[in-house]
Amino acid sequence: KSPGFNASYSMGRLHIEHMGGERVFSCANCDCPLTNRQQLISTRFTGATGRAFLFNRVVNLDTSELQDRVMLTGRHMVRDVSCRKCKTKLGWVYEFATEESQQYKEGKIILERALINESEGFPDPVKD
Amino acid sequence: MENGSGCLNGSGAADSAEKAQQQQQCPAVQLSERNCEAVRVIGQYLRELGLARSAEALVLEAGCPLESGAAAQFRSSVLLGDWDGAEASLASLRRALWRESSWSEIAFRLAEQRYLELLESGAHIAALCVLRGKLTPLQFSPDRLHRLSGLIMCSGPEELRQLSGWSGAAGGTRQALLDSVEQFFPPSVMLPPKRLSVLLDQAVRAQVSRCRHHNTSLSPDQLTLLADHSCQAAASVPSVCSQVLDAHQDEVHVCQFSPNGRFLATGGRDCVAIVWLVEAAANPPGAPRVRHHLTLRIGEERGGVAWLAWSPDSRLLLACAAEEATEVIVWEAETGDCIKKLKHRDEDSLTTAAWLPDSNHFVVGGNRGHFYLCSVDVGFEKAWDFIRVVALATRREDDGGTAVLAADTFARIRRYRFDTMQDETLFREDGPVMSMSISQDETLLAVCVASAGVHLWDLRLRVCRRRLHGLTHGAYLLHASIGGPNQDFVASGSHDARVCVWHRGCQAGDGAQQHLLPDKLSGHGGLVSCVSWNPRHHGMLASASDDCTVRIWLPASLAAAALAASADGTGPGGAGFSSNGCCSSTVSKHQPPPLL
Repeated sequence: KSPGFNASYSMGRLHIEHMGGERVFSCANCDCPLTNRQQLISTRFTGATGRAFLFNRVVNLDTSELQDRVMLTGRHMVRDVSCRKCKTKLGWVYEFATEESQQYKEGKIILERALINESEGFPDPVKD
Repeated sequence: MENGSGCLNGSGAADSAEKAQQQQQCPAVQLSERNCEAVRVIGQYLRELGLARSAEALVLEAGCPLESGAAAQFRSSVLLGDWDGAEASLASLRRALWRESSWSEIAFRLAEQRYLELLESGAHIAALCVLRGKLTPLQFSPDRLHRLSGLIMCSGPEELRQLSGWSGAAGGTRQALLDSVEQFFPPSVMLPPKRLSVLLDQAVRAQVSRCRHHNTSLSPDQLTLLADHSCQAAASVPSVCSQVLDAHQDEVHVCQFSPNGRFLATGGRDCVAIVWLVEAAANPPGAPRVRHHLTLRIGEERGGVAWLAWSPDSRLLLACAAEEATEVIVWEAETGDCIKKLKHRDEDSLTTAAWLPDSNHFVVGGNRGHFYLCSVDVGFEKAWDFIRVVALATRREDDGGTAVLAADTFARIRRYRFDTMQDETLFREDGPVMSMSISQDETLLAVCVASAGVHLWDLRLRVCRRRLHGLTHGAYLLHASIGGPNQDFVASGSHDARVCVWHRGCQAGDGAQQHLLPDKLSGHGGLVSCVSWNPRHHGMLASASDDCTVRIWLPASLAAAALAASADGTGPGGAGFSSNGCCSSTVSKHQPPPLL
């Protein structure tokens, strides 16, 4: 294979978005930008590796097929999410919650704390 | 016998007189109102061309007078210089005016013409009478009146004509007076001037706006009336793949023609930038072919060539590497010499670049949050911080400076001036921006928006002119290119391995949806990331794909010629390219089938 080949890339150059923000979260494996502190809703979640964060909007994720999961908080329909760049599994996204009290999570994403890095970003200088 | 023939002669004369009378009273053909209007308009056209007798014969035979009796009287009086008669006819036409208030203007113009003619012929006393008795009482436009009275001091007709800008009685001014008066009357009384010419011009312009592949610099009055105008697609729109260039070892991500159309640069994941020469075949003339010129390597740790930018003088080529790119490289395209390797900070990611018009300065940037103004002579010069740049372009501004256009991760396209350190937001897109490309004349910007399509922004009017749909969306970066002699064509890659070509100039009319869908060129075996139009050979398009090839597309008429030329051999220095031009290209049903 040619020298530049990397098993993690498939075709073309991936379109990687960047949400900006003063504190940026990215994939711990490949540093692909994912989201920022402004999108953080709650830190009191638990995933397979321990602590997990609930975010409003995250970019550069691939989603799996819909799965029916029973969690501590009830039965949910979720999709696993993974980093678009390196395909590492990072967490999941809630698509549907059977219990009304849990419906606030629908559309939001859980990222496991151990699988993401937090780093310094910068504020947007444009004022208009 | 003689008597008989004499009688025949006599009755013949009487007969023809009778016939003429009959024709005058009841025309041979009964015409509907629309036909009558058409006859009037044609009659006016004939008269304007100077075919007065034909016009009269037409009116006589059709029985449709060109204009009302009083108007005809007015016209002939003016043309003969019978001013009193003209005034009388005008008085009888007064009731027919659109607006009563225009009466004084018409009377003024008539009197003005009379006055100027009298002055020209030297009858100053008579002119003064007209000034006092006719022009002044109307109380119309005191400025003009003042100027007219000043003209009485002119020493001769030459000076009069010069000072007033009036070309004299013989200079067509009487006809001009009639033309200017026509607008005040309804068409039933007087026809608007040059009516048939206006209608024909409107029809041709409508055909031009519907022309799907309009690609000519002829103006509407140069186009033929004998058939509906429609540019031949075969001559202007690429539809046939004439060459497949397979010198690359891995996916090709970028292709760019140089501004002078002589070079093509391609690059991709194999960390190699290849420079190709574009040659217009001598026999037959005008069929361009591409052949390999140089292979330029960038370091293999750089993950591939992400972007290639030509300097405006087509001498230098700049390459940006992929994601972890801390350095950009500049080569001289003709020789392959590496002129500059520019690196500023270790944590940079410089994935996009654009040159400034002096072919010495360029801007580079990436999504780490900085973009830099650099030059080939000096290297790094200035930085602009805290903007995550996705794509760059430059544009000359009215005050002589150059603005850098940058699309950022907040879907904004902003304008930056490094000389005044001013910045301004130009446009906001409604989706994430993947790439941006400016037209050669710097008036249009093509922005590829993820999951949306290609949006064309007008940089002078600052509006979105077109949203082009029809390309297949996906997760990978696509690039678009604007080309054609009038910046009329837009091409882009697509995730379905096809090249999309739109003609943006088409007005939305009947069948509007059809006109905005692209023609799709098939042939590639993988995602097409980047396309580039040749700025000199209009209609020549290059496309770069994940199937490791670059394809050259030509209009059907040119392609046939190019293939005929290649049948003689692969050409000199042909390492790395095949002249396999016989690839199928399915095009939309709006185009004629390719000549293969």
